[in-house]
Amino acid sequence: MGRDRDSMKITYLILIAGLVLGAGLVAGCSTPGEAGDALKIGVVASMTGPASTTGRDMWQSAQLAADEINAEGGITVGGKNMTIELVQGDDESTREGGIKAVTKMITDDRVDLLVGGFSSAVVTAHQSIVAEKGVPYIVTGASSPTITRRTDINTSMIFHHCPTTDDYGAKTTIFVDEVIRPAVNAQFGRPEAQPLRLAVIYQDSPYGKGVLEAVNETIAENRLPIEIVAEEGYKMGETDFRSLLTSVKATRPDVAYPAAFLNEQVPMLTQARRDVGLDTIFLAVECNDDPDYYRGLGQYGDASVIESRFSPYAVPRGAISARVEQYRNDYQSRYGGFPGMMGASTYEGVYVAAAAVEKAGTAEKAEVITALTTIAVPEMIESMEGGVISFANPFRESRSNLYMEQLHWDAATQELRPTIVWPDELKETEFQLPGWYRPGERVTR
Amino acid sequence: MALDLARLSRSLPWIALAVGLVVPFLAQGSLYLLTTASIALVFIIYTEAWNFLAASGQGSLGHAAFFGLGAYASALIATSFGLPPLLTSFLGGLFAAAIGVLIGLTCVRLKEWFLAMVTFGFAIIIQTLMVSPFAGISGGWDGTAAPPLVSSSVPFAPFVQYYLILAVLIGVLIGFRHLLTGRTGLAFAAIRENETEARASGIDPVRYKLFAFALSAAVAGVAGALEVHQFAYVTPEIFGTDYSFWPIVYAISGGLGTLAGPIVGTIAITILWEGLRGLGLTYARFVIIGLLLIVIVIFLPKGLISLPERLRDWRGRRGEPPP
Amino acid sequence: MAIDPGTLLQILFWGLYAGCIYILLATGVNLIFGVMKTVNFAHGTLLMLGAYVTWSFFVATGINPYLLLGATIPVLLLFGVAIERLAFRPVLGSHKLNEIFLSIGLIYLFENGAALIWGSDYQSLRSPFESVVIDLGGFSLPLDYLIIILATAGMLAGLSVLLRRTRFGLALRATSQNRKAAQLSGINVERMDMLAFGIGAALAGAAGTLWAVSGQVFDPYMGSVPAVKAFAIVILGGLGSIPGAILGGLFYGVAESAATYTLGGAWKDAISFVVLIAVLVIRPTGLFGERGE
Repeated sequence: MGRDRDSMKITYLILIAGLVLGAGLVAGCSTPGEAGDALKIGVVASMTGPASTTGRDMWQSAQLAADEINAEGGITVGGKNMTIELVQGDDESTREGGIKAVTKMITDDRVDLLVGGFSSAVVTAHQSIVAEKGVPYIVTGASSPTITRRTDINTSMIFHHCPTTDDYGAKTTIFVDEVIRPAVNAQFGRPEAQPLRLAVIYQDSPYGKGVLEAVNETIAENRLPIEIVAEEGYKMGETDFRSLLTSVKATRPDVAYPAAFLNEQVPMLTQARRDVGLDTIFLAVECNDDPDYYRGLGQYGDASVIESRFSPYAVPRGAISARVEQYRNDYQSRYGGFPGMMGASTYEGVYVAAAAVEKAGTAEKAEVITALTTIAVPEMIESMEGGVISFANPFRESRSNLYMEQLHWDAATQELRPTIVWPDELKETEFQLPGWYRPGERVTR
Repeated sequence: MALDLARLSRSLPWIALAVGLVVPFLAQGSLYLLTTASIALVFIIYTEAWNFLAASGQGSLGHAAFFGLGAYASALIATSFGLPPLLTSFLGGLFAAAIGVLIGLTCVRLKEWFLAMVTFGFAIIIQTLMVSPFAGISGGWDGTAAPPLVSSSVPFAPFVQYYLILAVLIGVLIGFRHLLTGRTGLAFAAIRENETEARASGIDPVRYKLFAFALSAAVAGVAGALEVHQFAYVTPEIFGTDYSFWPIVYAISGGLGTLAGPIVGTIAITILWEGLRGLGLTYARFVIIGLLLIVIVIFLPKGLISLPERLRDWRGRRGEPPP
Repeated sequence: MAIDPGTLLQILFWGLYAGCIYILLATGVNLIFGVMKTVNFAHGTLLMLGAYVTWSFFVATGINPYLLLGATIPVLLLFGVAIERLAFRPVLGSHKLNEIFLSIGLIYLFENGAALIWGSDYQSLRSPFESVVIDLGGFSLPLDYLIIILATAGMLAGLSVLLRRTRFGLALRATSQNRKAAQLSGINVERMDMLAFGIGAALAGAAGTLWAVSGQVFDPYMGSVPAVKAFAIVILGGLGSIPGAILGGLFYGVAESAATYTLGGAWKDAISFVVLIAVLVIRPTGLFGERGE
């Protein structure tokens, strides 16, 4: 009997000792922050978990930016030369992971700035520690406007460099009224003032609901002649939309606007065109502007429209086109594969961070934050309103020039390819209604 | 000699307590480690809650419902009435307990499979309710803010926060220990083994099972509230399946039905998890957790804390003379 | 709300198609339960694996995915046998909770193992008959769906023959009706367990093939939602009852389709639980009770 008490006791003691040791080991794993001549930027991205593809995209783009800056000799801060050093913060796409990663970067790695952040749920959970420590945070991936509008904590150090659901919902709706509605009315002999019938198919999530709200608000605020004939929600991850689409078809829309992720939008369009016979113009939110989307849709995507700000194929004319090509080629040769949208804004985020520190003349967080509120960084790979990245507005949101692309089936490559159809400054081709298009109503009111 | 050993094994909880008290200092001033430890404490409380329910033979696959309801209730009460978060955490627990009784009522007559599916379903239903009909109150998908557990104006706030949560854990442990070593524990064991026989010997399974649901939900709700007051924000993702599955993983790895099991399991898996991440593994981590769970269920059904016992058996079976 | 007959037919049709997947899943779950008296909570992962196995074969060989059923089914059959032998057999007979927890471990293992092997991005398959459509007056019927419905019917017919006419089938049924008696009459019940699990897995795998070829996308985590619905069907149709699974699956598919059409999609999953819970509150053993328990 004494023997098992013995072994039990010993095992317990070993267990406890092991836990203590383990804690010590994990502590030892973190690199203590050193004051040096490096500007430490923490990149908050999901390297594991469901959002890891986007996270990897963000991290890799950040690395590209940092390496480019360092290759040019780093940045000059108050006379001294500094290199950019990136620290990876894997938020694991969970709230706990996010708070652990960000806390580690702030207190252990002693980062000077944070860049990144994708899921709004994850970001809202760690905002409080960022606010408490006053670390400038350039959010480049989260689409919820809440992030800079919270009233319970100080958000003055949080800068939103990424369009929100408000932005894309609004721009898309304006495009529908300015371009699609006249085209449909003209083609089918409807009076110029005839309203357009819009069906919104939204993911039941902050993203989908955000877009739906934005569409409704834009129509109300601008008194647009658009009638929302259907608002159909679906659960995230859904793959079978046939009944839903049949229901939408019954409302006879002129245009369908899904607020969906790629893995939902592709089956949705395919099923709509092939199975349900909903032959209408489909819009898409920018997160779908991805080579997988073009490949997945095949011919069913012909004539559909995507709102975008950074495309794998289209290059907006003007000041940024050379740099966009350069960025894409660099990314491809270094990592293989196309860079995505969140990567693009994170790439810019690193540059903005560097520029702000240079402007402030110091890496002191409070001064950097002040610099960020007034900074105007010339646009790089995304078209920005006024040609600059600026946060000089009440909610510190940068304003991108979102554009609309129309997809065309390219017989040569046997794939879809986009061309920009709006706004006029960036337009490459005119928006066209395809031959198979059927409007909601032919009868004039 | 025997007396010394007896005293030592009885003092093991005290040793563990000492370690728990000292952890913040072992963290060498790293806020990251302290935060990880505080989160781990919250999950120990949550796992203990789930474990208590499982001790009565009811294996819930949707405990995130209570974790989340406690969190939301506490956050909303605290923001609306300005009450201190520590108090509202317990109010949140009470709210979760009320829902727990309702859910328990639907589950008392169900066999294990059905109970598992129903509890899983309730978590989904509650999440859908929170984001649709009740979006006005709960903030819908945007979530809602929660005042911090310990205001940052308090000196050494992170330390105070850790000790507050530790105090709650100790209270929970004392409470559960009292119940599980007493009549309740015996009743649970009887119900778990064979409900019909338990009823025949005069135990009312319905009363005990409902009690288990209520108390388990209450403690889970308190844990949820403590977590969101740490983060200062709550979103509907808290009702997700992964939040329901973690306490199961922790409790089974540590040792189902025991008090030490959830503690050992949560700490061991948390360290394993953080450690593996340092090695850069992504999905492999989940694969390892899955394998661990399977191995433990098959070879070590009483969990890690039964390891010394099994080792002894194994040694004994290899032909060594019995002690 | 007046629905024209064409639309009604379409809704019914989509429901029928969805029902096929559910039927295959629910039948598998019931077969396993009937023989082993355990619910395989990890059944959804078998659906997912079926889709991925088909996809892998398709990418490697380019053979018509429908024909690849002939590859997916045996692979999943063997896989199911292996799972039963290695994971379930040691815990059968111990507390039911153990079986549930084991399944959770299997879910973690298979979902993330699949993510490791094939990546976590979604995948899809193009059917070679994708653009073939049959015109039936009111609406157009893609050939694929017809094939899927026929394939499902064929598999169910095959299963029926297996259970009624073959030695193995009779032994399976005997085991599910009375395990002790079957054992006493010389049936190797442990082999029956493996067989039941294997066939259940094969049915789930076939469902995965049909899922993939119908143009639905799949990723390592897609199995959990359809599996949960399959469990709801099983409870409603009767644990262990294969006819219950078939009728229940059909009914559920059509009901879901109709509900989406009328009520909208956000409640699509939750509604199945509401119905399930309502039924269980009234009758804790399910609508038709349990067989052989």
